Amino acid sequence: MRLGFLVDLNNCIGCKACEVACKAENNVPVGAWRLRVKYVDVGLYPDVKRNFTPMRCNHCENAPCERVCPVSALHQLPNGIINVDSQRCIGCAACMMACPYGAIYMDPETNTADKCTFCAHRVEAGLEPACVVTCPTEANLFGDLDDPKSRISQYIASHRDVRVRKPEKGTKPKHVYCGGGQSQLEPLSVRREEGMNLFNRIGTLDKVGGH
Amino acid sequence: MEPLTAHAPVLQSARVTLDVLHTGVFWGWFVTMNFWSKSISTGVFLVGAFFMRKGPSRDFYRLVIPAVAFVFVDITLLFTVLDLHQPFRFWHMFVYPHPTSVINLGAWVLSVYVGLTFVMTVLAWKRQDGLYDRLIGPTWVVGFLATIYTAGLLGQSTARELWSTPTEVAQMILAATLAGSAVFLLLGKGHDQDSTVFAWVLALSAMVALTIYVTEVVFAPQKSEEAEFIVHALLSGNLGVLFYSGLVLGFVVPGVLALIGLRGKTPLLFPLAAVSSLVGLWLVKHAWLIAPQLLPLS
Repeated sequence: MRLGFLVDLNNCIGCKACEVACKAENNVPVGAWRLRVKYVDVGLYPDVKRNFTPMRCNHCENAPCERVCPVSALHQLPNGIINVDSQRCIGCAACMMACPYGAIYMDPETNTADKCTFCAHRVEAGLEPACVVTCPTEANLFGDLDDPKSRISQYIASHRDVRVRKPEKGTKPKHVYCGGGQSQLEPLSVRREEGMNLFNRIGTLDKVGGH
Repeated sequence: MEPLTAHAPVLQSARVTLDVLHTGVFWGWFVTMNFWSKSISTGVFLVGAFFMRKGPSRDFYRLVIPAVAFVFVDITLLFTVLDLHQPFRFWHMFVYPHPTSVINLGAWVLSVYVGLTFVMTVLAWKRQDGLYDRLIGPTWVVGFLATIYTAGLLGQSTARELWSTPTEVAQMILAATLAGSAVFLLLGKGHDQDSTVFAWVLALSAMVALTIYVTEVVFAPQKSEEAEFIVHALLSGNLGVLFYSGLVLGFVVPGVLALIGLRGKTPLLFPLAAVSSLVGLWLVKHAWLIAPQLLPLS
Protein backbone atom coordinates (compact mmCIF):
# COMPACT_ATOMS: atom_id res chain seq x y z
CA MET A 1 0.00 0.00 0.00
CA ARG A 2 1.21 3.47 -0.91
CA LEU A 3 -1.14 6.17 0.29
CA GLY A 4 -1.10 9.31 -1.78
CA PHE A 5 -2.86 12.59 -2.21
CA LEU A 6 -4.11 14.49 -5.23
CA VAL A 7 -5.33 18.08 -5.37
CA ASP A 8 -7.20 19.13 -8.47
CA LEU A 9 -6.33 22.79 -8.61
CA ASN A 10 -9.09 23.34 -11.17
CA ASN A 11 -11.63 22.54 -8.48
CA CYS A 12 -10.12 24.40 -5.52
CA ILE A 13 -12.08 27.55 -4.67
CA GLY A 14 -9.74 28.77 -1.91
CA CYS A 15 -12.36 28.53 0.84
CA LYS A 16 -9.73 27.34 3.34
CA ALA A 17 -12.13 24.85 4.87
CA CYS A 18 -9.36 22.27 4.65
CA GLU A 19 -7.04 24.53 6.64
CA VAL A 20 -9.60 24.95 9.39
CA ALA A 21 -10.50 21.26 9.46
CA CYS A 22 -6.82 20.33 9.73
CA LYS A 23 -6.25 22.75 12.58
CA ALA A 24 -9.28 21.52 14.48
CA GLU A 25 -8.56 17.84 13.87
CA ASN A 26 -4.92 17.99 14.86
CA ASN A 27 -4.91 20.79 17.46
CA VAL A 28 -2.43 22.78 15.43
CA PRO A 29 -1.47 25.84 17.50
CA VAL A 30 -1.84 29.46 16.47
CA GLY A 31 0.91 30.55 14.10
CA ALA A 32 1.57 27.04 12.78
CA TRP A 33 0.05 25.22 9.81
CA ARG A 34 0.13 21.63 8.64
CA LEU A 35 -1.86 22.59 5.59
CA ARG A 36 -2.28 25.99 4.05
CA VAL A 37 -3.88 27.48 0.97
CA LYS A 38 -1.74 30.03 -0.84
CA TYR A 39 -3.36 32.69 -3.02
CA VAL A 40 -1.44 33.86 -6.07
CA ASP A 41 -2.81 36.64 -8.28
CA VAL A 42 -1.70 36.55 -11.90
CA GLY A 43 -2.24 39.26 -14.49
CA LEU A 44 -3.03 42.97 -14.52
CA TYR A 45 -6.43 44.58 -14.04
CA PRO A 46 -8.86 43.92 -15.67
CA ASP A 47 -7.34 40.67 -16.89
CA VAL A 48 -6.61 39.10 -13.52
CA LYS A 49 -6.91 35.58 -12.20
CA ARG A 50 -6.57 34.38 -8.64
CA ASN A 51 -5.13 30.89 -8.12
CA PHE A 52 -5.43 28.80 -4.98
CA THR A 53 -2.89 26.17 -4.02
CA PRO A 54 -3.29 23.93 -0.95
CA MET A 55 0.12 22.87 0.34
CA ARG A 56 0.99 20.15 2.78
CA CYS A 57 3.64 17.48 3.38
CA ASN A 58 4.37 15.50 0.21
CA HIS A 59 5.02 12.23 2.08
CA CYS A 60 7.95 11.52 -0.21
CA GLU A 61 8.99 7.94 -0.92
CA ASN A 62 12.58 9.09 -0.69
CA ALA A 63 11.96 11.45 2.22
CA PRO A 64 14.95 13.68 3.08
CA CYS A 65 13.38 14.58 6.43
CA GLU A 66 13.18 10.94 7.46
CA ARG A 67 16.76 10.30 6.35
CA VAL A 68 18.25 13.27 8.22
CA CYS A 69 16.32 12.89 11.48
CA PRO A 70 18.93 11.82 14.04
CA VAL A 71 16.51 10.02 16.35
CA SER A 72 13.99 8.55 13.86
CA ALA A 73 11.26 10.83 15.18
CA LEU A 74 10.27 11.16 11.53
CA HIS A 75 9.59 7.69 10.23
CA GLN A 76 7.76 5.99 7.41
CA LEU A 77 4.71 3.86 8.20
CA PRO A 78 4.04 0.67 6.22
CA ASN A 79 1.28 2.49 4.31
CA GLY A 80 3.77 5.13 3.12
CA ILE A 81 2.79 7.93 5.48
CA ILE A 82 5.71 9.90 6.94
CA ASN A 83 4.74 10.18 10.58
CA VAL A 84 6.19 12.22 13.48
CA ASP A 85 6.86 11.03 17.00
CA SER A 86 6.83 14.26 18.98
CA GLN A 87 7.89 12.46 22.16
CA ARG A 88 11.13 11.43 20.51
CA CYS A 89 11.91 14.64 18.58
CA ILE A 90 14.80 16.68 19.98
CA GLY A 91 13.96 19.84 18.03
CA CYS A 92 17.18 20.05 16.03
CA ALA A 93 15.29 21.36 12.97
CA ALA A 94 17.41 19.31 10.56
CA CYS A 95 14.17 18.10 8.95
CA MET A 96 13.20 21.70 8.30
CA MET A 97 16.52 22.20 6.54
CA ALA A 98 16.01 19.04 4.51
CA CYS A 99 12.40 19.37 3.37
CA PRO A 100 12.39 21.06 -0.05
CA TYR A 101 8.71 21.91 0.32
CA GLY A 102 8.80 23.88 3.56
CA ALA A 103 6.19 21.51 4.95
CA ILE A 104 7.67 21.05 8.43
CA TYR A 105 7.33 23.55 11.25
CA MET A 106 8.46 23.81 14.84
CA ASP A 107 5.43 23.54 17.09
CA PRO A 108 5.64 26.63 19.33
CA GLU A 109 3.96 24.80 22.21
CA THR A 110 5.76 21.47 22.24
CA ASN A 111 9.05 22.73 20.75
CA THR A 112 9.14 19.73 18.46
CA ALA A 113 8.90 19.34 14.70
CA ASP A 114 5.48 18.70 13.28
CA LYS A 115 3.77 18.40 9.92
CA CYS A 116 0.86 16.87 8.04
CA THR A 117 0.54 13.16 8.70
CA PHE A 118 -2.30 12.57 6.22
CA CYS A 119 -4.31 12.30 9.49
CA ALA A 120 -2.65 8.93 10.19
CA HIS A 121 -4.87 8.41 13.25
CA ARG A 122 -8.00 8.74 11.12
CA VAL A 123 -6.59 6.55 8.36
CA GLU A 124 -5.85 3.86 10.92
CA ALA A 125 -9.52 3.98 11.93
CA GLY A 126 -10.64 3.62 8.31
CA LEU A 127 -11.48 7.29 7.86
CA GLU A 128 -10.23 9.80 5.32
CA PRO A 129 -8.11 12.81 6.32
CA ALA A 130 -10.07 15.73 7.74
CA CYS A 131 -9.23 18.02 4.84
CA VAL A 132 -10.59 15.52 2.32
CA VAL A 133 -13.86 15.10 4.16
CA THR A 134 -14.43 18.82 4.52
CA CYS A 135 -13.57 19.94 0.98
CA PRO A 136 -16.84 21.23 -0.60
CA THR A 137 -15.66 20.73 -4.19
CA GLU A 138 -13.88 17.40 -3.78
CA ALA A 139 -10.64 19.00 -4.92
CA ASN A 140 -8.78 16.72 -2.51
CA LEU A 141 -8.49 13.04 -3.33
CA PHE A 142 -6.85 10.50 -1.05
CA GLY A 143 -6.16 6.83 -1.61
CA ASP A 144 -3.84 3.98 -2.47
CA LEU A 145 -1.55 4.75 -5.38
CA ASP A 146 -0.69 1.05 -5.71
CA ASP A 147 -4.30 0.10 -6.27
CA PRO A 148 -5.21 0.73 -9.93
CA LYS A 149 -8.88 0.66 -9.02
CA SER A 150 -8.65 3.37 -6.37
CA ARG A 151 -10.21 6.70 -7.27
CA ILE A 152 -6.93 8.56 -7.02
CA SER A 153 -5.17 6.10 -9.35
CA GLN A 154 -7.98 6.32 -11.87
CA TYR A 155 -8.01 10.11 -11.63
CA ILE A 156 -4.28 10.25 -12.30
CA ALA A 157 -4.61 7.80 -15.19
CA SER A 158 -7.37 9.83 -16.82
CA HIS A 159 -5.74 13.26 -16.53
CA ARG A 160 -2.70 14.39 -18.46
CA ASP A 161 -1.83 17.51 -16.45
CA VAL A 162 -0.76 15.73 -13.27
CA ARG A 163 2.57 16.73 -11.70
CA VAL A 164 4.52 16.98 -8.49
CA ARG A 165 6.47 19.82 -6.93
CA LYS A 166 10.24 19.93 -7.48
CA PRO A 167 10.71 16.51 -9.13
CA GLU A 168 14.38 17.39 -9.69
CA LYS A 169 15.01 16.86 -5.95
CA GLY A 170 14.51 13.14 -6.37
CA THR A 171 12.20 12.90 -3.38
CA LYS A 172 9.44 11.02 -5.23
CA PRO A 173 6.50 12.86 -3.66
CA LYS A 174 3.24 10.99 -3.13
CA HIS A 175 1.31 14.26 -3.25
CA VAL A 176 0.38 15.26 -6.78
CA TYR A 177 -1.40 18.20 -8.34
CA CYS A 178 -3.78 18.24 -11.26
CA GLY A 179 -4.00 21.49 -13.24
CA GLY A 180 -2.42 24.70 -12.09
CA GLY A 181 0.59 26.47 -13.49
CA GLN A 182 4.13 27.42 -12.76
CA SER A 183 3.11 30.33 -10.56
CA GLN A 184 1.25 27.97 -8.23
CA LEU A 185 3.88 25.30 -7.74
CA GLU A 186 7.20 27.11 -8.11
CA PRO A 187 7.77 29.68 -5.37
CA LEU A 188 10.53 31.53 -7.20
CA SER A 189 8.27 32.26 -10.13
CA VAL A 190 6.11 34.71 -8.19
CA ARG A 191 6.69 37.91 -6.28
CA ARG A 192 6.43 37.54 -2.56
CA GLU A 193 6.46 41.12 -1.35
CA GLU A 194 6.72 41.52 2.39
CA GLY A 195 4.08 43.73 3.99
CA MET A 196 0.32 44.04 4.27
CA ASN A 197 -1.63 42.43 1.48
CA LEU A 198 -5.01 40.92 0.90
CA PHE A 199 -6.45 40.16 4.38
CA ASN A 200 -3.04 39.48 5.94
CA ARG A 201 0.65 40.28 6.25
CA ILE A 202 3.07 38.53 3.93
CA GLY A 203 6.30 37.98 5.82
CA THR A 204 8.33 35.71 8.04
CA LEU A 205 7.91 34.62 11.62
CA ASP A 206 10.14 36.51 14.03
CA LYS A 207 10.64 33.61 16.38
CA VAL A 208 9.41 30.04 16.62
CA GLY A 209 9.29 28.12 19.87
CA GLY A 210 11.50 28.83 22.83
CA HIS A 211 15.14 28.29 23.58
CA MET B 1 13.77 40.07 -2.84
CA GLU B 2 12.83 40.15 -6.53
CA PRO B 3 12.23 36.71 -8.04
CA LEU B 4 14.61 35.69 -10.79
CA THR B 5 11.75 35.36 -13.23
CA ALA B 6 10.50 38.87 -12.51
CA HIS B 7 11.36 39.99 -16.00
CA ALA B 8 9.74 37.06 -17.75
CA PRO B 9 6.68 38.70 -19.37
CA VAL B 10 4.22 35.95 -18.52
CA LEU B 11 4.98 36.04 -14.80
CA GLN B 12 5.69 39.73 -14.35
CA SER B 13 2.49 40.27 -12.47
CA ALA B 14 2.24 37.01 -10.52
CA ARG B 15 2.40 37.67 -6.83
CA VAL B 16 1.41 36.08 -3.55
CA THR B 17 -1.58 37.87 -2.07
CA LEU B 18 -2.52 35.60 0.82
CA ASP B 19 -0.28 33.20 2.67
CA VAL B 20 0.91 32.22 6.11
CA LEU B 21 4.14 33.63 7.52
CA HIS B 22 7.22 31.75 6.37
CA THR B 23 9.64 30.36 8.93
CA GLY B 24 12.69 32.33 7.79
CA VAL B 25 16.15 31.82 9.27
CA PHE B 26 16.02 28.98 11.76
CA TRP B 27 19.63 27.96 12.24
CA GLY B 28 21.35 31.07 13.57
CA TRP B 29 24.63 31.99 15.23
CA PHE B 30 24.55 29.05 17.65
CA VAL B 31 25.12 26.78 14.66
CA THR B 32 27.83 29.11 13.37
CA MET B 33 29.54 28.79 16.75
CA ASN B 34 29.32 25.02 16.33
CA PHE B 35 31.13 25.16 12.97
CA TRP B 36 33.70 27.68 14.19
CA SER B 37 34.67 26.10 17.49
CA LYS B 38 34.76 22.64 15.91
CA SER B 39 37.19 23.93 13.30
CA ILE B 40 39.47 25.12 16.10
CA SER B 41 39.15 21.94 18.11
CA THR B 42 39.83 19.48 15.31
CA GLY B 43 42.18 21.87 13.52
CA VAL B 44 44.73 22.00 16.35
CA PHE B 45 44.87 18.23 16.35
CA LEU B 46 44.98 17.75 12.58
CA VAL B 47 47.67 20.38 12.13
CA GLY B 48 49.65 19.81 15.30
CA ALA B 49 49.70 16.02 15.68
CA PHE B 50 53.14 15.77 14.07
CA PHE B 51 54.64 18.06 16.71
CA MET B 52 53.44 15.85 19.55
CA ARG B 53 56.06 13.30 18.63
CA LYS B 54 58.90 15.36 17.27
CA GLY B 55 60.44 18.83 17.50
CA PRO B 56 62.07 20.98 20.16
CA SER B 57 58.75 22.04 21.74
CA ARG B 58 57.39 18.51 22.00
CA ASP B 59 56.36 18.75 25.66
CA PHE B 60 54.51 21.98 25.09
CA TYR B 61 52.43 20.51 22.27
CA ARG B 62 51.66 17.28 24.07
CA LEU B 63 49.65 19.14 26.68
CA VAL B 64 48.36 22.11 24.73
CA ILE B 65 46.95 20.27 21.70
CA PRO B 66 44.56 17.86 23.46
CA ALA B 67 43.65 20.53 26.03
CA VAL B 68 42.66 23.11 23.40
CA ALA B 69 40.89 20.43 21.37
CA PHE B 70 38.97 19.31 24.45
CA VAL B 71 37.89 22.82 25.46
CA PHE B 72 36.71 23.81 21.99
CA VAL B 73 34.90 20.57 21.26
CA ASP B 74 33.04 21.12 24.51
CA ILE B 75 32.09 24.59 23.27
CA THR B 76 30.90 22.94 20.05
CA LEU B 77 28.73 20.51 21.97
CA LEU B 78 27.43 23.24 24.25
CA PHE B 79 26.15 25.31 21.35
CA THR B 80 24.83 22.20 19.61
CA VAL B 81 22.74 21.29 22.62
CA LEU B 82 21.66 24.87 23.28
CA ASP B 83 20.40 25.12 19.70
CA LEU B 84 18.03 22.21 20.21
CA HIS B 85 14.43 23.10 20.96
CA GLN B 86 14.41 20.15 23.34
CA PRO B 87 17.96 20.28 24.78
CA PHE B 88 17.16 17.88 27.62
CA ARG B 89 16.40 15.20 25.05
CA PHE B 90 19.93 15.21 23.63
CA TRP B 91 20.39 11.72 25.06
CA HIS B 92 17.84 10.47 22.52
CA MET B 93 20.74 10.63 20.04
CA PHE B 94 22.29 7.63 21.76
CA VAL B 95 19.25 5.56 22.67
CA TYR B 96 17.35 6.07 19.40
CA PRO B 97 20.22 6.17 16.90
CA HIS B 98 19.40 6.61 13.23
CA PRO B 99 22.40 5.52 11.15
CA THR B 100 21.34 7.30 7.94
CA SER B 101 21.46 10.63 9.75
CA VAL B 102 24.82 12.39 9.61
CA ILE B 103 23.81 14.42 12.67
CA ASN B 104 23.53 11.22 14.64
CA LEU B 105 26.86 9.91 13.35
CA GLY B 106 28.36 13.30 14.20
CA ALA B 107 27.05 13.12 17.76
CA TRP B 108 28.83 9.79 18.24
CA VAL B 109 32.04 11.00 16.63
CA LEU B 110 32.12 14.20 18.67
CA SER B 111 31.43 12.28 21.87
CA VAL B 112 34.32 9.92 21.18
CA TYR B 113 36.51 12.90 20.35
CA VAL B 114 35.60 14.53 23.66
CA GLY B 115 36.59 11.36 25.50
CA LEU B 116 39.86 10.88 23.64
CA THR B 117 41.03 14.49 23.99
CA PHE B 118 40.14 14.43 27.69
CA VAL B 119 42.09 11.23 28.28
CA MET B 120 45.05 12.57 26.31
CA THR B 121 45.06 15.80 28.33
CA VAL B 122 45.15 13.82 31.56
CA LEU B 123 47.87 11.51 30.22
CA ALA B 124 49.95 14.50 29.14
CA TRP B 125 49.53 16.05 32.59
CA LYS B 126 50.64 12.83 34.24
CA ARG B 127 53.37 12.27 31.63
CA GLN B 128 52.26 8.76 30.74
CA ASP B 129 53.82 8.67 27.30
CA GLY B 130 53.14 5.07 26.32
CA LEU B 131 49.36 5.18 26.14
CA TYR B 132 49.47 8.79 25.00
CA ASP B 133 51.49 7.92 21.91
CA ARG B 134 49.16 5.06 21.07
CA LEU B 135 46.16 7.42 21.17
CA ILE B 136 47.56 10.05 18.80
CA GLY B 137 46.68 8.14 15.63
CA PRO B 138 43.10 7.13 16.56
CA THR B 139 42.36 10.61 17.89
CA TRP B 140 43.62 12.17 14.66
CA VAL B 141 41.28 9.92 12.66
CA VAL B 142 38.30 10.73 14.89
CA GLY B 143 39.20 14.42 14.68
CA PHE B 144 39.23 14.18 10.90
CA LEU B 145 35.79 12.54 10.91
CA ALA B 146 34.54 15.25 13.26
CA THR B 147 35.85 17.83 10.80
CA ILE B 148 34.04 16.48 7.76
CA TYR B 149 30.78 15.25 9.28
CA THR B 150 29.34 18.75 9.11
CA ALA B 151 29.74 18.69 5.34
CA GLY B 152 27.66 15.52 5.30
CA LEU B 153 25.05 17.17 7.49
CA LEU B 154 24.81 20.16 5.18
CA GLY B 155 24.73 17.82 2.19
CA GLN B 156 21.68 16.07 3.62
CA SER B 157 19.84 19.39 3.76
CA THR B 158 18.14 18.77 0.44
CA ALA B 159 16.25 22.05 0.52
CA ARG B 160 19.36 24.24 0.80
CA GLU B 161 21.14 24.21 -2.53
CA LEU B 162 24.49 25.80 -1.74
CA TRP B 163 25.21 23.60 1.27
CA SER B 164 25.31 20.46 -0.83
CA THR B 165 28.14 21.53 -3.11
CA PRO B 166 30.90 18.92 -3.50
CA THR B 167 33.54 21.35 -2.25
CA GLU B 168 31.93 21.60 1.17
CA VAL B 169 34.14 18.81 2.51
CA ALA B 170 37.24 20.61 1.28
CA GLN B 171 36.06 23.84 2.90
CA MET B 172 35.53 22.06 6.22
CA ILE B 173 39.06 20.64 6.13
CA LEU B 174 40.52 24.00 5.12
CA ALA B 175 38.58 25.75 7.89
CA ALA B 176 40.12 23.31 10.36
CA THR B 177 43.68 23.74 9.10
CA LEU B 178 43.21 27.52 9.02
CA ALA B 179 41.81 27.69 12.55
CA GLY B 180 44.25 25.13 13.94
CA SER B 181 47.31 26.91 12.59
CA ALA B 182 45.88 30.24 13.76
CA VAL B 183 45.65 28.92 17.32
CA PHE B 184 49.30 27.85 17.28
CA LEU B 185 50.39 31.22 15.91
CA LEU B 186 48.42 32.93 18.67
CA LEU B 187 49.92 30.75 21.39
CA GLY B 188 53.31 31.62 19.93
CA LYS B 189 55.30 29.55 22.39
CA GLY B 190 56.53 27.01 19.94
CA HIS B 191 59.91 26.99 18.32
CA ASP B 192 60.49 29.60 15.59
CA GLN B 193 60.73 26.89 12.99
CA ASP B 194 57.33 25.62 14.08
CA SER B 195 55.81 29.08 13.64
CA THR B 196 57.09 29.12 10.09
CA VAL B 197 55.33 25.83 9.39
CA PHE B 198 52.08 27.06 10.94
CA ALA B 199 52.26 30.34 9.00
CA TRP B 200 52.65 28.38 5.76
CA VAL B 201 49.68 26.18 6.67
CA LEU B 202 47.63 29.28 7.47
CA ALA B 203 48.57 31.06 4.26
CA LEU B 204 47.97 28.05 2.03
CA SER B 205 44.65 27.18 3.72
CA ALA B 206 43.48 30.78 3.32
CA MET B 207 44.44 30.99 -0.33
CA VAL B 208 42.92 27.66 -1.32
CA ALA B 209 39.68 28.34 0.60
CA LEU B 210 39.42 31.79 -0.98
CA THR B 211 40.00 30.37 -4.46
CA ILE B 212 37.28 27.76 -4.00
CA TYR B 213 34.76 30.29 -2.65
CA VAL B 214 35.42 32.81 -5.39
CA THR B 215 35.38 30.36 -8.28
CA GLU B 216 32.36 28.52 -6.93
CA VAL B 217 30.20 31.44 -5.90
CA VAL B 218 31.31 34.44 -7.90
CA PHE B 219 32.39 33.06 -11.26
CA ALA B 220 30.77 29.66 -11.78
CA PRO B 221 27.22 29.61 -13.19
CA GLN B 222 24.75 28.03 -10.79
CA LYS B 223 22.93 24.89 -11.83
CA SER B 224 19.47 25.75 -10.59
CA GLU B 225 17.20 28.69 -10.01
CA GLU B 226 17.32 28.05 -6.27
CA ALA B 227 21.12 28.11 -6.20
CA GLU B 228 21.15 31.30 -8.25
CA PHE B 229 18.75 32.90 -5.77
CA ILE B 230 20.94 31.90 -2.83
CA VAL B 231 24.13 33.15 -4.44
CA HIS B 232 22.40 36.42 -5.23
CA ALA B 233 21.39 36.69 -1.55
CA LEU B 234 24.92 35.82 -0.45
CA LEU B 235 26.58 38.45 -2.58
CA SER B 236 24.20 41.35 -2.05
CA GLY B 237 22.67 43.36 0.79
CA ASN B 238 23.63 42.90 4.43
CA LEU B 239 24.64 39.31 3.86
CA GLY B 240 26.95 40.44 1.09
CA VAL B 241 28.74 42.76 3.50
CA LEU B 242 29.09 39.88 5.94
CA PHE B 243 30.33 37.44 3.29
CA TYR B 244 32.83 39.78 1.63
CA SER B 245 34.11 40.95 5.03
CA GLY B 246 34.61 37.31 5.92
CA LEU B 247 36.51 36.59 2.71
CA VAL B 248 38.79 39.58 3.26
CA LEU B 249 39.38 39.08 6.98
CA GLY B 250 39.36 35.32 6.89
CA PHE B 251 41.48 34.64 3.84
CA VAL B 252 42.94 37.69 2.09
CA VAL B 253 44.37 39.54 5.10
CA PRO B 254 45.78 36.47 6.89
CA GLY B 255 47.21 35.10 3.65
CA VAL B 256 48.95 38.36 2.83
CA LEU B 257 50.16 38.98 6.41
CA ALA B 258 51.48 35.45 6.77
CA LEU B 259 53.34 35.64 3.47
CA ILE B 260 54.82 39.05 4.32
CA GLY B 261 55.83 37.72 7.73
CA LEU B 262 57.44 34.67 6.19
CA ARG B 263 59.27 36.64 3.51
CA GLY B 264 60.51 39.42 5.81
CA LYS B 265 61.01 37.11 8.78
CA THR B 266 58.72 39.30 10.90
CA PRO B 267 56.82 36.83 13.06
CA LEU B 268 55.02 39.69 14.81
CA LEU B 269 52.58 39.69 11.90
CA PHE B 270 51.58 36.08 12.57
CA PRO B 271 49.30 36.74 15.57
CA LEU B 272 47.55 39.47 13.59
CA ALA B 273 47.03 37.07 10.72
CA ALA B 274 45.72 34.49 13.17
CA VAL B 275 43.15 36.80 14.79
CA SER B 276 41.98 38.06 11.42
CA SER B 277 41.54 34.53 10.11
CA LEU B 278 39.49 33.42 13.10
CA VAL B 279 37.20 36.46 12.89
CA GLY B 280 36.82 36.16 9.14
CA LEU B 281 36.15 32.43 9.31
CA TRP B 282 33.23 33.04 11.66
CA LEU B 283 31.77 35.68 9.31
CA VAL B 284 32.07 33.50 6.22
CA LYS B 285 30.55 30.48 7.91
CA HIS B 286 27.69 32.60 9.26
CA ALA B 287 26.85 34.09 5.86
CA TRP B 288 27.09 30.62 4.30
CA LEU B 289 24.70 29.31 6.94
CA ILE B 290 22.13 32.07 6.59
CA ALA B 291 21.90 32.57 2.80
CA PRO B 292 20.23 29.24 1.88
CA GLN B 293 17.66 29.75 4.60
CA LEU B 294 16.37 32.86 2.82
CA LEU B 295 15.11 30.72 -0.04
CA PRO B 296 11.28 30.55 -0.15
CA LEU B 297 10.46 26.85 -0.29
CA SER B 298 6.75 26.91 -1.04
